[in-house]
Amino acid sequence: MRRESRQQGITSSDAPYGTPWLGSVAKYLVLGFFAALVLYPLLLIISTSLKDPLDVTANPFTLFSSFSPINFYDAWTLGGFGGYFWNTVVITALTLIGVVALSTLAGYALARFRLPGHNIIFIIFITGLMIPFFSVMIPLFYELRDLGLLGSKAAVILPAIAGAHGFGLPLGVFLMRSFYMDLPEELADAARVDGAGEFSVFWRVMLPLSSPGVAVLAVLVFFQTWNNFILALLYLPGTENQMLATGLYLFASGRTQDTELAAAGSLIMVFPVVVFFLLFQRQFVRGLTAGAFK
Amino acid sequence: MQTRTEGAGAQVPSQKRGVIARFANMSALRRQQAYYAILFIFPGLALYLIFMVYPFLNTIYLSFTNWNGVAQTKDWVGLSNYARMFGDGAVLKSFFNNVIWVILGTILPVVIGLFLALILWSGARGSLLFRTLFFLPFILPLVVVGIVWQWLYNPLFGPLNNILDSVGLNHLSRGWLGEPNTALYAVLVAGIWGTFGFVVVVLLAALQNVDVSTVEAAMLDGANWFQRARHIIIPQIGPQLTMVTAITLIGGFSVFDLIFVMTGGGPGHASEVLATYTYKAAFVQNQAGYGSALAVLITVLSFISAIVFVRLREREG
Repeated sequence: MRRESRQQGITSSDAPYGTPWLGSVAKYLVLGFFAALVLYPLLLIISTSLKDPLDVTANPFTLFSSFSPINFYDAWTLGGFGGYFWNTVVITALTLIGVVALSTLAGYALARFRLPGHNIIFIIFITGLMIPFFSVMIPLFYELRDLGLLGSKAAVILPAIAGAHGFGLPLGVFLMRSFYMDLPEELADAARVDGAGEFSVFWRVMLPLSSPGVAVLAVLVFFQTWNNFILALLYLPGTENQMLATGLYLFASGRTQDTELAAAGSLIMVFPVVVFFLLFQRQFVRGLTAGAFK
Repeated sequence: MQTRTEGAGAQVPSQKRGVIARFANMSALRRQQAYYAILFIFPGLALYLIFMVYPFLNTIYLSFTNWNGVAQTKDWVGLSNYARMFGDGAVLKSFFNNVIWVILGTILPVVIGLFLALILWSGARGSLLFRTLFFLPFILPLVVVGIVWQWLYNPLFGPLNNILDSVGLNHLSRGWLGEPNTALYAVLVAGIWGTFGFVVVVLLAALQNVDVSTVEAAMLDGANWFQRARHIIIPQIGPQLTMVTAITLIGGFSVFDLIFVMTGGGPGHASEVLATYTYKAAFVQNQAGYGSALAVLITVLSFISAIVFVRLREREG
């Protein structure tokens, strides 16, 4: 918030360095051009999702030429997006809880407890930041098959927590450890003097203090898991546990010509992302820049 | 494994060296802390070892076999998968496409993003609105980006061809995703559309910390806007600029979603990249061994680009 208002202050004042950067007209032409480039495809999805099927065929690219909100109902039921939606919610929620729980615990222990070999364990963890998904995807397929997990929600959740899609334990342990290293040890000692055990020091004192870090991590994991495509493509070959990304891909590339339902399905997938983004914009950008070396 | 080490620590005499001895010599508080450390670290570490480290090592192993994913036995074939890779035209084509993707897909979003960030920073009405708008494509799932750009490129009634036709450039309109010469670049444009807004947001935040007085001084000295940007402003946002470059650069060899959704690597191998080819080798043609060798190649290339980036950052100090 503070940053926003500061920026507002600069833009509205006649900042001396601001004036003849570019001619005023040229400046707004450039901005307008890129704004249109971004807006048209976005509006096209929204408008197509609201068109009736005949109008989609007749005027595929005219914006808002008819109004048929029933598409969302059809996509949710006939298109199967309702099922995909709930699968995605469950998989994303469990992955998020798993990453946050396990990486706060491990990050805290690696920052605060003197375990012999803790540096080696930390290095093993952050090595995962350098491992692209493709270098685990093939054996992981057969491993999940042998464990009987292939096609179940766990086939996406467990690898995602472990870091297969990039924003799992390696990133979480890295972020949370550095966060806990910056917290003053005196707070923990005070709680210990009051007779708190190590777990309640963590749970009652340290975890609440680390909530800004947890929020950053949770937001990143949410986006990465919700939008993830390849984990679901490979490890959920049945349709029963299909996620939105793969469900949408299969729907749009299938034999059906129901473009308006594909658009409605896209919006069903995008809507929570946009809401989440507007709520947690700051955490999202901060997290992406913190995990920069990924 | 840790639990066993710790349990043994209680029994061995303290003159033993190494980890066990360090456990034995600990004070009661330290030992209790070590016990909790194991308890806290173990669940995450176990999951990470089972679902990341083990399959990673397995990929390296499989790359030396000709396993087809089904057979009971995995025959050791030495380096022959790697030898085959260098003679495989599709691998060379994919590698070349990856290089194009890395270069253009890094430079263009960074240049466009930097330019727009400078414009917004220099004072434009509604800059907050523009910033949010530019960032929107970045948060969209790549599947959605792929689908909407497929519509835009539609050869028969897509808006892109319509625009070209209406301004008299009929000879330019074509099936953008279906022709070998344009498929990769058409997907790349969609990729750039999805990333430049991220650069805008990060660099705009960095620009808030630029020392305004240095820019004013340069203006008094008669520096034009390009000179000011090049010599005064950009050096002050160096770290963030290298950071956004790194993010796009290192991901460049792992690009998959957008290409898979929009062209599937086609037509032929025209827009194939290493990731889509690896996917096909392993899961369509069931060549788990050869696919693993390709996966090792992707990993090595990502490492190299990461190292190149670290070197660049060191040089900047």
